Amino acid sequence: MKRRITQLHPFTVLCLAVFTVAVATAASVWWLSCAVIVMCLAIGAVAGKARKLAALSGAIMLPTLLSLLMIHGLASRDSSPVIAAWGPISLTRGGAEVAMMLALRTAVLVVVGLLCGLLIDKHQLVAAIDLSPAPPQAGYLLASTLFLLPQMMEKQHAIGEAQALRKAGTGRGLAGWLQRLRLRAVPLVLSSVQDAHDRSVHLAARGFPARGEHSRLRQVADSQIQRGVRWVALLCSVLVPAAILVPFGGAA
Amino acid sequence: MSPNLLLPEASAAQLLRRRVLGAAGTLLLVGTYLFLVITQPTGIVEGLGQGVALATFAAYLIAAVLLLLAVLPDLPVSALTLIPVALALNIILGQFVGSVMVPLYLDSIGTVLVGFLAGRRAGAATGVLSTLIWSLFAPTVLPFAAGAALVGFLAGTAARYGALRRPYLAPIAGLVAGVLVGVVSSPVAAFVYGGTSGVGTGAVVAAFRSMGDSLLSAVTKQALISDPGDKAIVFLIAALLVFALPKRLSGSFEFIRRYKVLGKSGNK
Amino acid sequence: MMDMEHRAPVESTSALHLRLGSFRYADADHDTLRAIELELSPGSLTVISGDSGSGKSTFGGVLAGMLPRQGADSCEGTFILAGQRIDYSPEHSPRIDVAGWARHLGLLPQDAGLYLSRIRQTVAEELVFARENEGMPRKEMTELITEFSTRLSLEHLLERDPSKLSGGQERLVALTALSAANPSIIVLDEPLAGLDSTATATVTAMITRLRAAGTALVVLTRTTEAWEAEAETLLTLADGTLRPATRTARTAASSSKPSGFAAAAASEKPLLAFAGVQLGYKGASAPVISDLDLEVRAGECVGLAGANGTGKTTLLKAAAGLLKPIAGKLRVTAESGMLLQNPSDQLFERTVTREIAFGLPKKGLQRARVPRILEQLGLASCAQTHPYELPASARRLVALATVLVREPRLLLLDEPTEALDPAGLQILNEVIDSVLERGGAVLFSSHDERFIARTAHRVHRMPRQ
Repeated sequence: MKRRITQLHPFTVLCLAVFTVAVATAASVWWLSCAVIVMCLAIGAVAGKARKLAALSGAIMLPTLLSLLMIHGLASRDSSPVIAAWGPISLTRGGAEVAMMLALRTAVLVVVGLLCGLLIDKHQLVAAIDLSPAPPQAGYLLASTLFLLPQMMEKQHAIGEAQALRKAGTGRGLAGWLQRLRLRAVPLVLSSVQDAHDRSVHLAARGFPARGEHSRLRQVADSQIQRGVRWVALLCSVLVPAAILVPFGGAA
Repeated sequence: MSPNLLLPEASAAQLLRRRVLGAAGTLLLVGTYLFLVITQPTGIVEGLGQGVALATFAAYLIAAVLLLLAVLPDLPVSALTLIPVALALNIILGQFVGSVMVPLYLDSIGTVLVGFLAGRRAGAATGVLSTLIWSLFAPTVLPFAAGAALVGFLAGTAARYGALRRPYLAPIAGLVAGVLVGVVSSPVAAFVYGGTSGVGTGAVVAAFRSMGDSLLSAVTKQALISDPGDKAIVFLIAALLVFALPKRLSGSFEFIRRYKVLGKSGNK
Repeated sequence: MMDMEHRAPVESTSALHLRLGSFRYADADHDTLRAIELELSPGSLTVISGDSGSGKSTFGGVLAGMLPRQGADSCEGTFILAGQRIDYSPEHSPRIDVAGWARHLGLLPQDAGLYLSRIRQTVAEELVFARENEGMPRKEMTELITEFSTRLSLEHLLERDPSKLSGGQERLVALTALSAANPSIIVLDEPLAGLDSTATATVTAMITRLRAAGTALVVLTRTTEAWEAEAETLLTLADGTLRPATRTARTAASSSKPSGFAAAAASEKPLLAFAGVQLGYKGASAPVISDLDLEVRAGECVGLAGANGTGKTTLLKAAAGLLKPIAGKLRVTAESGMLLQNPSDQLFERTVTREIAFGLPKKGLQRARVPRILEQLGLASCAQTHPYELPASARRLVALATVLVREPRLLLLDEPTEALDPAGLQILNEVIDSVLERGGAVLFSSHDERFIARTAHRVHRMPRQ
């Protein structure tokens, strides 16, 4: 089962995600949103990523929820009963409901999106983009960024060590902080911009970006069924929300 | 049989296609924004405005992707290799700043840097891409791609018209860019998410709301408080970083040479 | 089709004919290259030597069509490559298709890692990156990989992550990827720099194979010693122009071993002492170094030898206080200063002087030392230059200066000879002597056995894990 999920074509996963988010947002009923979130956690559990998924989504959702409660719960102008009050600030029931619904809507996007990020193998995604009609630059930029990030983190660490050896950047307060920012940022930017510049000529010499047809050695498993699923999912993510929203929109 | 040693010229048809894509992206962005501001859909509370949310999300995202497709094929390889560096810088430097609890986000230093070095097209592409890739880790940023594109675009424009020739001009340009970016991004925060995602910014929005503002105007006012200051600092830092580059390196970017971005001294 | 032995014969006998009048960088006030004439025949080996900063890499860039940059640098000259004639003039520089050019003439940069795309998961994918961009069908790519990996015995690397290769492996992979396009000329910039003896042998064997298959090779290098037996043509690049070189590459740079201090050292107290030390990184399963016993006394110069990956850098970092031992006792009784392997990691100022004086009190003794240090390291002429615009050798010396200005008693050097030209080596030897003379100690790592034998009083061999 786990292999099944991780072997899906990256675009299939993304299309299904678009569909899920679109329908859940359009329907905007609490039980559907909750069901989607639970389902995502279950899929995450099958793929062995449930804990990571929960931690990451929690980190994004907690501040969002607080913020929404403040904006809609505290400053609500409706006349629904007050749940709690602290002096001039009060939390109304209607406001809390609005905040919860908005938070659920965001939560669906967050959990589904993060699940995609965890399920999709980055190299497969890059290969899929390269093999699609998208410009060849797109795949390179995605790949390069994803692989550069850990390298630059390492470099950042090395710079920190080098500066520590020179006993530089030990100042306190705002001036010390600015000094440290400079000591970190300038060598990092200098060396990585220089590196990018040196690298670009060799990339060009290796025929990048491809001007005509290009191919990939890596294979991305795909099937007729998956292609069908992708089209249906994309079509439905336009049609289903339209079907849900249009009559109501007209009535409102 | 033997491959060519010289490059062919770009064809007119390709150029036209890119223009059309760019125009379509811009139109979609401006159109959506005007529609939202003029009609001020009040659905947020009754029925929670799912339609508006979905439409705003989709329109801003599609506009950003169209703009990306319009500029990508034009970018020289030197700009292409710079973009990933910029995105990594956005994240790493943003993290360093975040780790000391300064109330700024400074998450666009790399984007602005590319705008300064490689021009507004490259800057805009960096903004969109950085958002798209960052969304793999934080999906909520997705519809802000258009705002990020604007940051890069404005950075390139500012550099082109001389904002880097004097150190004090860069933060002023940043201030102006911050106002525009704040205004353009707030409908996303208001209509897609119904507010903001940070506790501090949420408090500010709540304060404006309790004074009787609509959600959109409250979010916009909050953005106008935090964005210009943030962008002014980001523009200043990016400008200082560009000044720190050796002349031979900065001079190897065609954009810098052509528009004399660094003034006379940058182009002997 | 990709078989090198059956290349179609070229009409003219030469693979390349170049007549270069002048080349000047966009922001420079003098020509970097001038009056150069070069002709390469198939299967030949041409070695071009020159000091750091002599314009070797610039010449490599010109050969590979990467320089002049259109609309920036000015160049005057004529290429005849693959039966096509390319004319450069100051008024008109043609728009070069570097990818098409690379199919005839490939350039392997000094840092082979720059050649690798850094976006592929396996070496196999990296090898065919250029073929992918040409749209070669998958089946042909697979055949190509099999053919090349068996011929060059690379099979064991095919599934490895290209970003986790050692310096020598990186160069092998890049060279294989380069030759997969079957270019008639390959230019190698410092192909043996920084390689240990095994890796040197592998790269040299590969070069011999390529020549046998009819590829013309150009080697750009600081010292010609390793190439003299093989090369048909030996040239020197000096003052921007090529001249025939003499075959006496033995430089007079070697300083005699300062043996006088070694005898005195035995009685001194140790400045640095490891006793049963275990070193490792957080999250790693096994320690990098275990049961290390090493003492360095005042007046003593100790060399660390050993293959790549045996923990030389780790040991030095621990001595500098960057790393705490997991177990055992580490005692450092003197102020230490360390030169890191990559100088770019620590340079951030706009001029060399500011870089060296950084962080020193305005009116202190140390700041007064800056001009003397500049003089000692031969950097006085570039005091106002941006460190990044210096050639690699001088940049390394700037990094050394930032360490020396604090007058550490314990000097730690990580691969100090890397990127140094003969003049730089001479300066390094003087620096080591001066530290020893004033009662300090030096601990350095190197894979250059000759340098170790010449410089160190004592050698500590790192055991293989």
